[in-house]
Amino acid sequence: MKKAIALALSLALSASLLAGCGGGGKHTDIPEVDLPAINEIKLGEDYQDITATVKVLTNRTDIVDTTYAGYAAQFHELYPNITVEYEAVSDYEEALNLRLPNGDWGDICFIPTSVSKSDMASYFSPLGDMNTLDGIYHFISDKSFNGVTYGIANGGNADGIAYNKAVFEKAGYTSDQDKLDADSSLKPLPTSVDGFLQALNDIKTKTDAIPLYTNFSDKWPMGAWDAYICVAATGDPDFHNYTMVHKANPFSDPGDGTGPYNVYRVLYEAVAQGLVEADPMSSDWEGSKGMINRGEIGCMVLGSWAVQQFKDAGPNPDDVAYMPFPITVTDSEGNRVTSAGGNYSYAINNKNSQDQQIASMVYLKWLLEESPIYKDEGCIAALKSEPLPDFLADFEGIELIPNAAAPEGEEDFFDKVNLQSEVGINNDDYPDCNIVEHALLKDKTLAEIMDEWNQKWSAAQEELEIEIKF
Amino acid sequence: MGNPSGAATLSGNGSSFLSRHQKGFVIFTFMVIPMLLLFLFTYLPFFKMIQFSFYNRNYLSEGTFVGWKNYLDVFKRDDCFKVLWVSVYYMAGAVIQLALALFFASLMVFKVKGSNLYKACLFFPYLICGIAVGYIFKFFYAHGYVLDNILMALGVAEENLPLWLQNTKINNICLAATSVWRYTGQNMVMFMGAMMSVDSTLYEACELDGANNWQKFKYIILPSIKTIIVLNLILSISGSLCAFEPPYVITNGTMGTGTYFVIMNRIAHENQKVGLACAMAIVLLVIIVLCTVGQKLFFKYAYQTSDDGSDPRPRLKNEKYAAQKAAGKAGV
Repeated sequence: MKKAIALALSLALSASLLAGCGGGGKHTDIPEVDLPAINEIKLGEDYQDITATVKVLTNRTDIVDTTYAGYAAQFHELYPNITVEYEAVSDYEEALNLRLPNGDWGDICFIPTSVSKSDMASYFSPLGDMNTLDGIYHFISDKSFNGVTYGIANGGNADGIAYNKAVFEKAGYTSDQDKLDADSSLKPLPTSVDGFLQALNDIKTKTDAIPLYTNFSDKWPMGAWDAYICVAATGDPDFHNYTMVHKANPFSDPGDGTGPYNVYRVLYEAVAQGLVEADPMSSDWEGSKGMINRGEIGCMVLGSWAVQQFKDAGPNPDDVAYMPFPITVTDSEGNRVTSAGGNYSYAINNKNSQDQQIASMVYLKWLLEESPIYKDEGCIAALKSEPLPDFLADFEGIELIPNAAAPEGEEDFFDKVNLQSEVGINNDDYPDCNIVEHALLKDKTLAEIMDEWNQKWSAAQEELEIEIKF
Repeated sequence: MGNPSGAATLSGNGSSFLSRHQKGFVIFTFMVIPMLLLFLFTYLPFFKMIQFSFYNRNYLSEGTFVGWKNYLDVFKRDDCFKVLWVSVYYMAGAVIQLALALFFASLMVFKVKGSNLYKACLFFPYLICGIAVGYIFKFFYAHGYVLDNILMALGVAEENLPLWLQNTKINNICLAATSVWRYTGQNMVMFMGAMMSVDSTLYEACELDGANNWQKFKYIILPSIKTIIVLNLILSISGSLCAFEPPYVITNGTMGTGTYFVIMNRIAHENQKVGLACAMAIVLLVIIVLCTVGQKLFFKYAYQTSDDGSDPRPRLKNEKYAAQKAAGKAGV
C-alpha cells in the first residue's frame, strides 16, 4: 500500500521533472539562419516568393481589429504570399515576461521594458548594423547591443508638457508671437522652473482651473516625470546611458536650475504649494482628458502621445497644445535642446525559421516606412526623413535629441544601477509617487528625498563596481 | 469478442494478480493526475521559490548565488519587514469582522423574518471579485464622490470631510473596512453552518430550563462552534498578513498603505529583484506558520484552563444520552 503510493509519487515526480527539462532546454535553441539587414530589403521587390504567416503581438487592445487589421490587409496586397495576423495582449508587460522565455509566442512583438540590453540577443533577431540604421531611423540606440540593433522604435514622442492654451492665456502666458506683440501684459511660455511655478500660481489666482493635474492615483502617469531628467534637464545626450551611470550623486541640486533635481522640484513644489488637484489620491485619468480639453485643467506632464487623446476628449481640440519642459539647456552651439524618446520597439522572434524571420522583417520595414501608422497615432515617425507632426509647433527651433547609446561594453550598466538602486528611473513609478507623498505630508524636503536617491545610487554603483568619473 | 471463454480465462488469471495489487493500482491511477498537478503547480514553484530566494536575479536572467543576503535584507530594509505593522489594521478589522459575523449568524439562527434575504445581502459582497471591490471603494472614498455625498446629505459640512485615502490617520482603516465588508458574509455563512449542526434538542432542553438567548449563545452555541471560530480566526489573521487587493487597487500602496504583499509585488515586478521578493514570501510563510501554531497553542491552553475539565458541551451531551436512554427505557 505504502509502496504503491511511493511508486506513484516517484513516477509523477520524475515524469514532471522530465517535462520540466524538456521545456527548459527549448528556449536556448536559436536556429542558424542567414538574415538580410533591414536596410537592405527592397520593399515590393525582394522576397516575393516567401510564403509565411506572421503573427504580431501588440498592447493596443483598442485598435487591433480595426486600424491594425487594416495595415495587415494593405500589406497583403503588396505581398500576397505573406499573411499578417495581430494578437492583442492585455497586461502586455507581465504577459510578455512569461511568454518570451518559451520562444513560441509569434513573430513580431514590442520589446518589454524588462528585457535588458544584454538579454536581447537571446530572444530577438539582429536587424542590422547599429551605425547604419542610426542614419535611417530615430531612436536606434535604445535597443542596440554591441553595435547590433535588435529593435526599432514604433515612432516616438517629444518630451514636454500638455497644456490648455486658453487657460494659460487667461493667466497671462502664450506662445503666439502676434498676441505677445499686441498685448504687453502677456508673457511668453515659461522656460525655467521658477517661471513655470509662477505660471501655475498665476493660473490658480486668475482662473478656476486646476493648474497642474498629477494623475497620482493611476500611478503610471507619475513615471512620465522620469523622461525629463536626462536630455531635457541637462542637454547631455549621454546623460542617461553614461554620465548618470558614472556620476556621483546625480540627483543633487546643481544650483543653476537644471538637472534631475529641478525636474522633480516642479513636482514637489507644485504639490507642496497646492497647485494640483485637491485630493491626488482620487485623481481620475479618463476624466482628466476631458477636463484639460474643457479648460478645467491647466497642464499635465505627459509624453506627446497624450495630446491626441486630449484633443479627442472634448469640444476644444484646438486649445490643447504641447510645450517643451520648462528647463532651458543648450547644446555646444547654443541651440536650445530638449529630449525625444522612442515608443515601444518592434523586434523579431529569433526562434522561428529563416523564411519566417525574413517575412517578419519585410512586414516590419513596410510598417516603419510605408504604412500610415504614424499619421494615425500622431507621433514622430520612425524614419528620420519624415517631418515633425503639427502639434509640436511650440518646439520650433528647439532641437529634439534622444538619449545616445551607451559606450560599447556598458550597454546594460544603466539598467543594472537603476534596478539595483531601486531608484527605478523609467521602470518603477513608485519613487515619483514618493515625492508627491512627502510633499503632501510635508515630512521630508525634496533635498532629503534626493539625498536618499543619491545614497541608493551610490550604493548600487559601489556594489556593481562602477567607476565614478564625474 | 467471439471467445467468451478466453475472456473468462484472462480475467481468471488476472484476478489473483489484481486482488494482490488492485488496491495499489487503483490508488495509483486515482492519484497520479492530481499528484502531478499538485506537484507541477504547487510544489515545484514552491521549491523554485526557495531556490530563487538565495539568488540575486531578475525574471529573465539567471543571476548569481548570494546565500542568506536576501533574508538579511528583508529584516534590514525599512520597507520590507516593518510594513507588517500595516497588517495590524487588517487584523483589527478581522476581529471586528468575526464578531459581526458571529452576531449576525446568531441572530439568523433564532428564526428571523426574511433571514434568507439578509443572508443573501450579507453574503453578496463575497461573490464580487476583489479587484472589482477595489474599484467600488476607490470611487466610494474618492474626494467628492459617494461617501462624501452621503455625509453631506446627512449634514456634515464639506470642509469637515477628511480626505479618506490621503489622510494617513484614517486611510488604512478605510482600506481594512473594505475587507470587513467583503468577508463578513462569508464568515457568517460558515458560522451558521456550524450552528445549524448543533442538535436542536439542546436548544429545547435549555429553553425548558429557562435559558435566555444570551445564555443559549454562551453555553450552547459558542462551545459547539469553537473549532470553526478558531479556524476562521486563523484564516483571517493569515489573510490580514497577506492583504493585497484593497491597497493595490485603491491606493497603489501610497501614503503609508503599502502592505507586505504590495511591497513584495513592487520589489518583484518593478525593481525586478525576484530573489529578494522570494525571500520576503518565505519569511511571510514562516510568520504565518508561527502565528497559526501560536494561535492553536493559545486556544488549547485557554480552553483547558478556563473550563477546568468541565466543558458544558460534553456534559450536555451526556445528559442528552441519559435522557434518551431514559426515554428508551420508558418506551417512548
